[in-house]
Amino acid sequence: MTSVDSFSQKENMAASNTAGCSTPSNDDNDVPTYEYIDINTKPFHFGTFENLWKETLNPKYYSFHDVHQETEDEEFGQEMGIPPETVNELKVICSLDTLRCCPENQPPVTDVVPADPGLMTLRMRKRRQDYKQTLHREFTCRQDLYATELESLGIGKKPLNPEDMLPEGEMTITVNVLFPLIVERFKQVRARQTLQVLMSHKLTQLRDAICCLQDLQVSGEFSNTPDTAPEFISKDLYKSAFFYLEGIFYNDMRYPEASDLSQTIREWAASHNFPTFQTAKMEETTFRDLKIKVGYPYLYCHQGDCEHVVIFTDIRLAHRDDCLDRKLYPLLTYKHRMISRKCAICNLYISRWVTSNDSLAPTDPCLFCEACFRTFHYDPQGNKLGQFLAFPYVDAGAFN
Amino acid sequence: MEYFIEPVKSDCEDLLSRFQRTESVRYEEFAAIWRKMDFPSIFYGKMAANEMRAFSRLVMTTAYPYVLPPYNFQIRVGGLYLLYALYNTQLAVPKEKITIALKDWESIMKFQQDAVNSQHYDVCYIFRKLLSDKAVFFAAMPKPLSFQVKRKPKRHLVCEAFRDRPARVKDLITTETLEEISNVQEHYEKVKATITASSGQSDTAISLINKDLGACLQDTVMTYQNWLDEVTGKRTDSGDAADPGEGTSKQGDSSRRAELLASIKSKSYGQLTEASKSRRHRQVEMDMFASETKHTPGVRVRNRMPSLKARTKKNLLNKGNLREEILQATKQWHLSVAEQDKPAKPRDHKRFKYSHPA
Ligand SMILES: [Zn+2]
Ligand SMILES: [Zn+2]
Repeated sequence: MTSVDSFSQKENMAASNTAGCSTPSNDDNDVPTYEYIDINTKPFHFGTFENLWKETLNPKYYSFHDVHQETEDEEFGQEMGIPPETVNELKVICSLDTLRCCPENQPPVTDVVPADPGLMTLRMRKRRQDYKQTLHREFTCRQDLYATELESLGIGKKPLNPEDMLPEGEMTITVNVLFPLIVERFKQVRARQTLQVLMSHKLTQLRDAICCLQDLQVSGEFSNTPDTAPEFISKDLYKSAFFYLEGIFYNDMRYPEASDLSQTIREWAASHNFPTFQTAKMEETTFRDLKIKVGYPYLYCHQGDCEHVVIFTDIRLAHRDDCLDRKLYPLLTYKHRMISRKCAICNLYISRWVTSNDSLAPTDPCLFCEACFRTFHYDPQGNKLGQFLAFPYVDAGAFN
Repeated sequence: MEYFIEPVKSDCEDLLSRFQRTESVRYEEFAAIWRKMDFPSIFYGKMAANEMRAFSRLVMTTAYPYVLPPYNFQIRVGGLYLLYALYNTQLAVPKEKITIALKDWESIMKFQQDAVNSQHYDVCYIFRKLLSDKAVFFAAMPKPLSFQVKRKPKRHLVCEAFRDRPARVKDLITTETLEEISNVQEHYEKVKATITASSGQSDTAISLINKDLGACLQDTVMTYQNWLDEVTGKRTDSGDAADPGEGTSKQGDSSRRAELLASIKSKSYGQLTEASKSRRHRQVEMDMFASETKHTPGVRVRNRMPSLKARTKKNLLNKGNLREEILQATKQWHLSVAEQDKPAKPRDHKRFKYSHPA
């Protein structure tokens, strides 16, 4: 018994850096584990998690450079204590040729499901494809096409300036930001945008990357002075915002005019016997400082009451095939495409104005594009015709 | 895309159970089955680029659990080969990666250690190749999580036939526990000695424990282990399961290695009785399925109920002579239909859906 154990221990020692990796210490609760299986994790400290992976791994396995195959094979032989001939033999035995089902000179037709397939998956795909063919028109989902387009933008992208190269071992975090549910049309689809941020980013960098229509709204009635309208967008007027993550309000206090939006909530909570919430500054917090749950819905609030659910879906070491230009992060990888509302007159251009109490319009409210709005409501000298109220309209498709 | 999880899982398990029947952990055996099943074709069929990507991702996450506990060593080897094969034959460009969670890394390293210790060089080589090919994402969790709370969660159900049979006795009595026991024993003897020295009583009165407990325990465990090895050895005699590797066995430590191999072997291949039992179970299941679908041969039964409207209409129309009248009547609420438009084909109402631009 003892002899076997000491033997295997010796082997363990020799083998501990096989593949150049060791095992992380398991007495640490910053190793993410499920709170609810397949739904969300328990809270863990992002920075510690990052360190755990990096202590464990041989850097060559997350480097952006190729591992030199020959030195790799040589090292493998040495660690295993086997001669180069045996390694070569292994190389042949495990080569990718062993996985090919057709002869090399006859590449298979990959976009056809083979007749009478044995695999369950293929039978399912065949059924679905046959069904699709019975449909009268080809159904291509524009949402998906657009997603592919966006996704492929970042893949393997290298910076022009080598200084902007993402450092090896940087971690990327994927964040889903949902559109607020107060808008009727978002009740059925969970419209979202997906962003990739870096571990070293500040929370404010994520904040600035979130695009929301409410930030672009212009408030006020401009029928008498339509030319002055687009100067004040809400983003410049109301700069306060916060993230609420694991009991802490992270307030954006970069601007002197910003206020602590969480104050009312905290005061209310204090007067109702809730545990006290903490606050922190968004601009002083990096993702590395966070101790939160992955997969769990948190909150982003701006413009006073525009509330977005924020979910951190994934966190991992950056890979060679990721976008390697640091400047392009936070990187938008997915965005729900909105329907644009067209002008009521030409039905061609996207609306810029909405009018009310408008004797000239067929409906109330009524949408107009810039050109139609001007020609319809003003004479060539720019004088207002008839009575109406005009408000700038920001179309949902503005970000598409 | 989620509807592919079940068929992909069943294809993987089909492949792995064929691999299990070979009672081997050799890559050649795996590759032969892979080719025989024409497994690369799992990626074939007309798919849009993003669909292809999503499917590749799904295949990787579905195959991932087989390299982890509670599966036995042989299945985990098969799982590793499967990931290697799927990764390299997928059609997405760039290839979708295998996501490894930090929590699983320790057990994967242990698994790799086991492979090194028993000199399964093909396993080690392929594991290392995946790492050096950058086929892996080192992540927090094996898949992205977005709080998808479902009424019927689709979790990975462990395939019982592949489960590792725990070697409880071996786990319980290790060198450390034996050392601990002999330490306690020593301490106990000392305390006893001081008591007897002060009171002058004979120490046979409190001799409640066997003097060399540690050695005794070790003997017992060894005997048990030998017996177990004998039994399982008999069972797998036919296969070449113990074949250590590519002809590199060193005669020097062959006996020690044989012992080690035997322990791993008993872990990996002691499944035969359980396996056949569960296969019988599967047979029963299939019979049940057959009897269920007997009344509609060849047609896949949809268990979705037709809508209330459809059912009402069907009921009414079945009442023979009422038919014409009802058809007329049901049209009366189509107020906007002009007289001359009546015989026109029913229009497709799928014009505008407010919320979904897809
Ligand atoms: Zn908003
Ligand atoms: Zn217009």
